[in-house]
Amino acid sequence: MRVEWGSLVWLLVGLLMAPGAPAAAGSQTLTLTMRLAEGEWRVIRQEVLPPFEQACGCRVRAIDVPPEALAQRLKAMRAAGRAEVDLFAQDNMRLQELVEAGLVQPLDEVEVRMDPAVLPTLAAAGVMGGRRYFLPFRPNVQIVYYNAKKFDAHGLAPPRTWEELLRVAKVFKDTEGVGRVLFQAVGGAPTTTQLYEWIVSAGGDPFDFAHPGTVATFRFLQKLAPYLSPDSRRAKWDTTNDALAQESAYLAQNWPFGIPLLIRDYGKREIRTYSGWAGPVREAHVIGGDVLGIPVGAPHRDLALLLTRHLQSRGVQEILASRLGWPTIRADATAAVEPWLRPHVAAVQEAMRHGVFRANVPYWAEYERIASEAVERILWRNEAADAVLPPLAERLAALRRDRR
Amino acid sequence: MRAPTSSMLALLAFWAVGPLYLMLKVSVSPPGEVMTARPTLLPHGLTLEHWRRLLEAGQVLPPLGKSLLTAGLVAAAALLLAAPAAYNLARLPSRWRYGILLGLFLVRMLPEVSIALPVAVVFLRWGLMDSVTGLVLAHLTLVLPVVAWVLTTTFLAIPREVEEAAALDGCSAWQTLWRVTLRLAVPGLAVAGLLAWLFSWEEFLLATYLTLGAKTMPLQVYYYLYQGNWFLTAAAATLMTAPVLLLTGLLQRHLRATSLAGAVR
Repeated sequence: MRVEWGSLVWLLVGLLMAPGAPAAAGSQTLTLTMRLAEGEWRVIRQEVLPPFEQACGCRVRAIDVPPEALAQRLKAMRAAGRAEVDLFAQDNMRLQELVEAGLVQPLDEVEVRMDPAVLPTLAAAGVMGGRRYFLPFRPNVQIVYYNAKKFDAHGLAPPRTWEELLRVAKVFKDTEGVGRVLFQAVGGAPTTTQLYEWIVSAGGDPFDFAHPGTVATFRFLQKLAPYLSPDSRRAKWDTTNDALAQESAYLAQNWPFGIPLLIRDYGKREIRTYSGWAGPVREAHVIGGDVLGIPVGAPHRDLALLLTRHLQSRGVQEILASRLGWPTIRADATAAVEPWLRPHVAAVQEAMRHGVFRANVPYWAEYERIASEAVERILWRNEAADAVLPPLAERLAALRRDRR
Repeated sequence: MRAPTSSMLALLAFWAVGPLYLMLKVSVSPPGEVMTARPTLLPHGLTLEHWRRLLEAGQVLPPLGKSLLTAGLVAAAALLLAAPAAYNLARLPSRWRYGILLGLFLVRMLPEVSIALPVAVVFLRWGLMDSVTGLVLAHLTLVLPVVAWVLTTTFLAIPREVEEAAALDGCSAWQTLWRVTLRLAVPGLAVAGLLAWLFSWEEFLLATYLTLGAKTMPLQVYYYLYQGNWFLTAAAATLMTAPVLLLTGLLQRHLRATSLAGAVR
């Protein structure tokens, strides 16, 4: 066989220089980044974006960027003077670093023409320091997963209050010899997010460790700790799914991304969901999810703004709700959800009714470290909350003063 | 072979092969067999459903292709660039030789994370984001010192007398290099090439910075890991491991320490 070396060299050169996806000739290409599961990407690429591309005569290059990598990539692009992202959807718990580093554009002009059907509480969450930087896209909230078979076997009902939760945890520990209620105590974001809503449920201030409600939360957690699943110490969002699937835990809070994974993919039909329990003062759940933002220097700002309107439109929000079970940002969106998904969507909607936004404070990273230290010392080392919390409260107060 | 030695070897083999077995097993097991309080070690059911889902989604073959091309080019370029340098280094006086080699290793003394951002910024300016060229160049900066080191010691191990004998037999300098020296250096070249290939194949950090849309295989496996689906992660990880096993198997016969035995008397 004669080798066509010339052709091979040109083929190689082509491959070497080829970017991820070539732009369509003669039309504008808009780059959108998100972090989604494979099934979610399918809906976005096949059902959500094509109508927009057709209407604007452009192409949308939708690519997967994990939330923890977005800021570093935008920083690199800014330093290189080559902005390649037009629009991003980002976890609403990672917004402060984007604003502080000056990576995201203010969108004040959108304020005056915000679609009135967008829920006002969600719209308000995109404003930081009096300026609008982000637009709502996908709200999210933690719900409670439980193993109905195990609960039935022990004659238990899913807990609706802290007292019931403690009782359920005690019954499992006493009868099985090991705790089956999971608290995400690995530290960092999972622990802090969970702790945040527990503190609010007790009427406390999550940023004030001297507040009576905050102290009451830690005291309750200390009472609960001996009955928790040992997996709690390494439990975060992904390992919580593993613990539920492998039945080392029967009850745990987590984000709804576990629903398709546990029930559809792993076939764990005995896993049920509900909104969760109330603390001494109220039921509260941190609203997470993704918001839309436009990076500084985005090459197609106007087109990106048009795309935000499309993504927030009633049609798109209804597709996302019915196909993926996502909660919607609009008051007027209705969805025909697949039958197996309905009870879980109802749980998410109920949890959303008790939704609270986590304050975007500039010292969040330090706050996470302090909150994690408190959990480690009070829950696992069983140190007295009254001794642990005051110095930590001092450190938090100092942070507030320094960053004001 | 004595019993304790055999037991030790069996234990080592299990330690090495065990994780591979579990990965493969999970990738072909029905969910009910793994997602239970007591998963079984031996397979009972067998399903290709996870592999079907992985391949049908169409998100794993492009990264596999990109990683294969990148790692192949890194290995080839590293050998082409480092072999002549290493040959000459091996012929230098030792204090010069080690001085230069240590100089090359200065790049490796810096944590990768500290050079990743500046590298990404420069490559972005050059339009090399998401391209294989960008990744190859970035990987070469870290791979070349190691390859040069391995090849220098390889060329040092080849006695000069062998080259002198070839010259006496009428070989020109190029013929000596091609027919004698490089052939004797094949085991070292195989090891160095394999090291370069493996480094590039599994490299994560630079790929993270230099990738926007066109992922490499480690980034794609991380994506599945991040999604938390054990079965897709296991299938993707198995797919990523297969070329490593294949390449190591192919190069096995060159990875010998005895190739120079009897070269000189």
